[in-house]
Amino acid sequence: MNIQKIEEIRSNVSNDPLIKLKRALITYDQELAKNTLEDIIRQKIDSFVALSSMIEVMKLIGDAFEREELFLPDLVGSGETMLSVMPILQDEIKKAGKEKRNLGKVILGTVRGDVHSIGKTMVGTLLTANGFEVFDLGVDVSAGKFLEAIKKYDPDIIAMSALLTTTALEQKIIIDTLSKEGLRKHIKVMVGGGAITEEFAMDIGADGYESTAPAAVGLAKKLLQIE
Amino acid sequence: MMFKKGFKRIFKPLKLLSEEDVNAIHAVTLDILRNTGIKFVSKWALNFLKKHDCIVNDEDQIVKFPEGLVEECIRKTPSSFRFKARAEKDDVIFCKDVVYFQEAPGMHILDLETFKPRPPTKQEYIDYVKVLDYLPNCHLTSPYPYFGYEEVPAIMLMPELMAIKFKYSSMLGLSPYQSDAEIFIIQMAQTVSTEICGVISQAPPLTWFDNAIMQARRCIEAGFPVGPCSGTTFGATGPVTLAGTVAKTNAELISMLVLVQLLKPGHRTLMLLFEVPQNMRTGAPAFGQIGSTMANALYNQMWRWYNIPLEACSPGFINAKTPDFQSGYEKAINGIISAVSGANIVQFHGCIMGELSAHPVQAVMDDDIAGMIGRFIEGVDVNEETLALDLIHEVGQSPGHYLGKPHTAKWWKLEQFIPKVADRTATYDDWLKKGKKSSIDLAKEKTKEIIQTHNPIPLNDKQEEDIQRILEDARQYYKKRGML
Repeated sequence: MNIQKIEEIRSNVSNDPLIKLKRALITYDQELAKNTLEDIIRQKIDSFVALSSMIEVMKLIGDAFEREELFLPDLVGSGETMLSVMPILQDEIKKAGKEKRNLGKVILGTVRGDVHSIGKTMVGTLLTANGFEVFDLGVDVSAGKFLEAIKKYDPDIIAMSALLTTTALEQKIIIDTLSKEGLRKHIKVMVGGGAITEEFAMDIGADGYESTAPAAVGLAKKLLQIE
Repeated sequence: MMFKKGFKRIFKPLKLLSEEDVNAIHAVTLDILRNTGIKFVSKWALNFLKKHDCIVNDEDQIVKFPEGLVEECIRKTPSSFRFKARAEKDDVIFCKDVVYFQEAPGMHILDLETFKPRPPTKQEYIDYVKVLDYLPNCHLTSPYPYFGYEEVPAIMLMPELMAIKFKYSSMLGLSPYQSDAEIFIIQMAQTVSTEICGVISQAPPLTWFDNAIMQARRCIEAGFPVGPCSGTTFGATGPVTLAGTVAKTNAELISMLVLVQLLKPGHRTLMLLFEVPQNMRTGAPAFGQIGSTMANALYNQMWRWYNIPLEACSPGFINAKTPDFQSGYEKAINGIISAVSGANIVQFHGCIMGELSAHPVQAVMDDDIAGMIGRFIEGVDVNEETLALDLIHEVGQSPGHYLGKPHTAKWWKLEQFIPKVADRTATYDDWLKKGKKSSIDLAKEKTKEIIQTHNPIPLNDKQEEDIQRILEDARQYYKKRGML
């Protein structure tokens, strides 16, 4: 049972830095994560080993969420803790002359006219924590801004959110713009938000829709045929 | 002509908080306003608030509010006011002890056979507005009741929806904004001689965007009341603890209240509290939960303490996907707690499946719940006539009875509430004879009857022409901007 493994890590008070790093993620302790990672670097432990430990914990938490043993605060809390130390880890990986492999690049934004951010931010956090490289364009993002970002970052996926019925159609405008610019076939499009349904997503020509942030991670993997 | 009237609460409202609790929450609200600050994504608002002694950081767009200014603006806000409809019978007076019920919108119409939501047709939209206009315990409308209908371009949604409402109902209501739609909605309201209350929605936590501020400015300039509206989900855009979320949300709303009262001291302002816990599994708002009910009770108490009218926006929104046992208890518990704890308006009728769908049949059933709640809060008259001592002497002991007495004839309809669509047959056999009808069956029949027979107060020819002209102006406005 994943939840038992998670509880074992939570109650393990060992000073082993890799166990401490796992514990930091499970208890959402960003300070402990940062200090432990600095210890790991001082002790010259391979950065990829540290990264694997974190991914292992994220997988445990993700699976426990799927089994309805854990909830969104657990996913987001551990995800944000992992994100908080990723810049340090990435620097170390670069210094060692290695490259961290991402599952794919995702451009993310809430469409023009809509300023709702919480769902979109959750999707970004969970995608990043699961190994995607995410470029969050924020809220009220026009087709032009999406286009600019696509040219700059060359993403595999664009993910759009719209909470309002009145802004849902903005997603269609963006998809149409991608087609006009000849970019559509190279990029997968996923949509979500309170105003969106699966039927609507298909109508406007998106590749996929999910109703929750955790499910969006599975969708991104499915669209890129990962796992 | 039927007159709608609010329900007068004759007892002291329910209080969950002690006086110390209220003071502690208010102190945190003031602290947030003074030290954390509120973000205004509007150059105009930043400059305006700077001129009025607020501390403004132009770079991060954060405004901090001095305590004296906050207290002064709260004091200047009217504690009661009249909201004027095109027909005087539909006027609404917000004061401490009167409770009104309002329609609660849903995105689509619910198919009552499959329970699948789908976009309504224009005719279904019109029919729903007519049903709401008829219902005796529905006193106000939201900016919708559906978030659109088939075939209307997205950018024209708001003006077209409001045009239908102005034509098919004389009820007062809240009014939306989006991409300057308020310019045309205000013109339509002026044309039909009604007021609207402009909703000003915030983007929690602690943020207001420019389009909301434009709506406030335009409504104030037109002399219409405004409704700063919260939208926190506890645990996502506010603390998961109710006390913390109430303090934070009140800071957000008070920051807009300050802006409104600085723009026009004494301007009529209604606070709209739309607050729900987060579903920690899906991330969606957890409508219908007890957390939402408790939050309503807390906000009602706090805003009565501020002496400013408020609307409890969440009581009608429920998680149930069909009109069933869950929808009934979620609506009833939320509605009654809101009404007994001091809300001026309870948003209630029609919606189902969170904000995702609505149906007039649900609204007809909800109208019975609203009527029962209203009857409860109007309480009991105790006087010589209602004590009926002379009558009790007169009837005496069995086999005496009260059924044929003038006192009974005069009072029974005032004392009891008669639901329109609840099953009130006496026995199983009676119920069989009447066709084994559930309340949904009865509500379907009633809805059909209302649509066929109810005639809202019509607009005159000139008003109809003006509305069409304003809609055409809106189309041209959006075409020019490449939005249509």
